[in-house]
Amino acid sequence: MKKILIVDDEAGFTRLMKLTLERTGGYQVLEINDASKAWLKAREFRPDLVLLDIVMPKIDGGDVAAQIQSDPSLKGVPIVFLTAIVSQKETATGGLIGGFPFISKPVSLDALVQCIEENLAKKAATA
Amino acid sequence: MNAPAPQAYRVLLVEDHPGDARRIKELLEWTGGSTAHPFKLVRWVKRLDEALSFIETEPVDLVLLDLALPDCAGVNAFAQIDAAAPHLAVIVLAELDDEATAFSAVQAGAQEYMIKSELASRPLQRAIRHAIERKKSEHDLEHKNEFLHAMLTTSPDRIYFKDSDSRFLQVNQTLAHWFGMENPADAIGKSDFDFFSPDRAAAKFDDERRIIETGQPILNKIEQEIMWNGSSVWLLTTKMPLRDHKGRIIGTFGTSRDITAIKEMEETLQRERNLLRSVIDNVPDFIQAKDTLGRYILNNQAHTFHLNEKAPSDLLGKTVFDYFPPGMASEYYADDMMVLASGTPIVGKVEPSLSAGGKKLWISTTKVPIFDENEQVMGIATISRDVTAEKLAREESELANANLTRSREDLMKALGELRAVQLELIEAEKMKLVGRLAAGVAHEVKNPLAIIRMGTDYMTRQKFDDPNIPTVVHEIQEAVERADHVVRGLLDFSAPKKLHMALSDLNQVIRHALVLVRGELGSNKFKIIEQFQGDLAKVRLDAMKIEQAFVNIFTNAAHAMENGGTLTIRTFMRQVTGVGENIAGSGSFRPGDTLVVTEVLDTGHGVPDALIGHLFEPFFSTKPTGKGTGLGLTVTKTIVDLHGGTIDIRNRPEGGACVTVTFRADDPL
Repeated sequence: MKKILIVDDEAGFTRLMKLTLERTGGYQVLEINDASKAWLKAREFRPDLVLLDIVMPKIDGGDVAAQIQSDPSLKGVPIVFLTAIVSQKETATGGLIGGFPFISKPVSLDALVQCIEENLAKKAATA
Repeated sequence: MNAPAPQAYRVLLVEDHPGDARRIKELLEWTGGSTAHPFKLVRWVKRLDEALSFIETEPVDLVLLDLALPDCAGVNAFAQIDAAAPHLAVIVLAELDDEATAFSAVQAGAQEYMIKSELASRPLQRAIRHAIERKKSEHDLEHKNEFLHAMLTTSPDRIYFKDSDSRFLQVNQTLAHWFGMENPADAIGKSDFDFFSPDRAAAKFDDERRIIETGQPILNKIEQEIMWNGSSVWLLTTKMPLRDHKGRIIGTFGTSRDITAIKEMEETLQRERNLLRSVIDNVPDFIQAKDTLGRYILNNQAHTFHLNEKAPSDLLGKTVFDYFPPGMASEYYADDMMVLASGTPIVGKVEPSLSAGGKKLWISTTKVPIFDENEQVMGIATISRDVTAEKLAREESELANANLTRSREDLMKALGELRAVQLELIEAEKMKLVGRLAAGVAHEVKNPLAIIRMGTDYMTRQKFDDPNIPTVVHEIQEAVERADHVVRGLLDFSAPKKLHMALSDLNQVIRHALVLVRGELGSNKFKIIEQFQGDLAKVRLDAMKIEQAFVNIFTNAAHAMENGGTLTIRTFMRQVTGVGENIAGSGSFRPGDTLVVTEVLDTGHGVPDALIGHLFEPFFSTKPTGKGTGLGLTVTKTIVDLHGGTIDIRNRPEGGACVTVTFRADDPL
C-alpha cells in the first residue's frame, strides 16, 4: 500500500481524490488543504509520492516542493504537480514544470493512476 | 617813259572879283615849265551859296575862300563852309587891310590865310599842299579820338590809363560807375588807394611798378575784389605798359572784365560735380563708366578699391583685361559690347568677380548705355553690388530646406515605425492582460472541473439500479472535456508566441491540416475539391502553427455546412503590381512582391453582414453556444499576422463564405 500526500487548497477536490484513490485499494491518501502545513505533515506521514497543487494561498506549490526536497528525511520522494494552468502544448510534449512532472486538471482517474505508478517506478529504479 | 601823273589837288575858288580870280587861276596852274599839273581849279564861283551847293555834290580837296563875298562876309563864310564839309581844307584870302579877320578865321579852324596883294605862285601852291595835308591828318586824328571815345564810353569792360605813379589818367564810363562816380573825369588824379582796401591797392600798385620796371604785361589775371559798397566781383584783368610815341614807358593801362557770373556758374557746376562725386564715392556699390572701347573713364571709390587701386584716376584708360583673369574679363567685355551694340541694358545680372584680395565674389551688375548730346552711344555705365552674402545665404537656406525636407521624411518614417511599434506594444500589453485573465479563469474553472471529473470517475466504478446512470455520467464527462477544451484554448491563445520558421510548401501544410480535420469533414455529406497550383513558391512559415490556423478555418467551414456541402480549397500565386492595389489592410506587402494566396470556399450559411467585421475579436462566435470557443479565428488571425500575412473573410454572392489567406513568397520568381 503506497502512501500518497495530496496538497491542494481545494478541499472538495482532495476529498474526492482520497475517496477515489483509496477505493482502488492500492493507496493510502493524506489530504492537506493548508499548504503552509504541508512540509510538517509530510515529515510525519512520510509519503511515497506527493501530489502538489501550484497556485495556493499563503505558500505556493513551488515553495512547498523546495521545502520537501531540501528535507533529508524526505529525500527522493517524487513530487507531481497538479495544476490548472497548463497550455495544450506543455501537456502534449509532457514537459516539466520547474523540473517536476505535472498533471493537468481536470484529470481522469486512469490518467492519474498511470502517472502515479510511472513516477513510483522511476523512484524505485533510482533507489 | 612817264610815270602816271599823281592825281591833281582839286581846288574850288570862291572869289567875286573876276580880275583876282583870273590872277589866282594863273598862279595856281603855273607849272614853271614842268609837264605835271599838280593843281586843278575845278570851279570858280562868285557866291557862297554856289560854293555850298557845289561841295555838296562834287569832290573837292580845298577851298580858296575870299572873305568878302556878296552874300556873306568875314569869318561867318568860313564857318558855313566848315559846317557843310568839316573834312575840307580851307585857305582864306583877304585884303591887306583885313588881316585880322583872316587870322580869326584860322583860329576858327581854317588851315591858312593869305593876303591877296602878296600872292605868288610858289607860296600859294606850297600853302595849298600844307593845308590839304594838315587837314587830312587832323581828320585822321579826329577819327581816332572818336574810336577811343566810343570805346571808353560804351565798353562794358573796365578800362583805365595810369601814369608812372599809378594815378588815373583816364577811366572809362564803366569803371567810373563801378567806382561810384557819375563822371569819368572825377577819377583823374586819383589812385587805387582811393577805391580799394589798402592791401588790395598796394598789390595793384606793386603789379604796376613791376610792369613799368620790366615792360612785361600781366595777362588774364583772375582776381576777386570786394568793392566800396561791399559787393564781391570776380575780374579777368590784363595790364599793359603805356608807352609814348618814342617807346618810353610812361605809365600803365589795362582792362578788367567782370566774370562774376561765369565764375558763379563755374562754382555751381563745381559744387554739382563735387556733390555727384561725393554721392558716387560714398555708395558701397561699384560704379564705373567705360568708353566704346571698354576703357574706364569714370570710377567711384568703391570700384577703385575693388580693383585694388588707390585713386580713381589710376584706372583711367585701362580695361577689364588689366584686372581680371581672361575668362572673366572676356565675359564682362562681351556684355559691354552687347550693350553698346544693341543699346539694351543688362539689369541685375548675378555674375562672379574677384575681390581686391583675389577672393571669389558674386556681384549683381546693371549695365546701361550712355549717350552724347547727339544721341549717339558714347559708352556704358555700370553699377555692381556685392551679393556674395545674399547668394550664400540663399544657397544655405535652400540646403537647409532640403535637409529639413529630408529630416521631415525621416521623422515621418520614424513616426510610422513608432506607431507600428506602439501598436505592437499595445497588442502585447493586451495579450499579457488576456494571459493573466486566462490563467485566473483556468484556475477557477479547472478546479471545479477536476472535482466533477474525479466524482464521475468514482461513480463509474459503482453499481446503480438505474440503467441510465452510465449515460448520465458519460454526458457529464463530455461536458467537462468541452469546458476544459475552452479553457485550454484560452490559455493557448494568450501563451507567448514563438515561431519555428522554415521554408515550406503551403500545399503540403494544407493537405496535412485536411487530414487533421477528417473527424469533422470525413463524412460523405461533404465534398472536398482541391485546386492547388503545382509549382507554388515556398513560404517561410511555422508549419505547426499554420496547420492549426487552417484546421480552425476548415472546422468553421464544416460547422457552417451542418447539412453538408462543398469545400473548395484553391492555391495560386500573384504579383503585387501597384500601390493603389487593395492589400487587405496589411503594410507588409510591397509592389513587386510575389504572393501565395489560399482561398477556402464553403457553401454554408455565410456570415451575417453586420457581424463580418467582428469575426476576429476574441470570444466572438456565430456558432450556437457550446459549439465554438470564440477564439478560433482570433488565434488564426494571430498566427497569420505573426507570419506577416493577411486573412480576409467575405460572403460569396452565390452563398457561403470565402476565406482568403495570403503570404509573401520567400524568394520571388
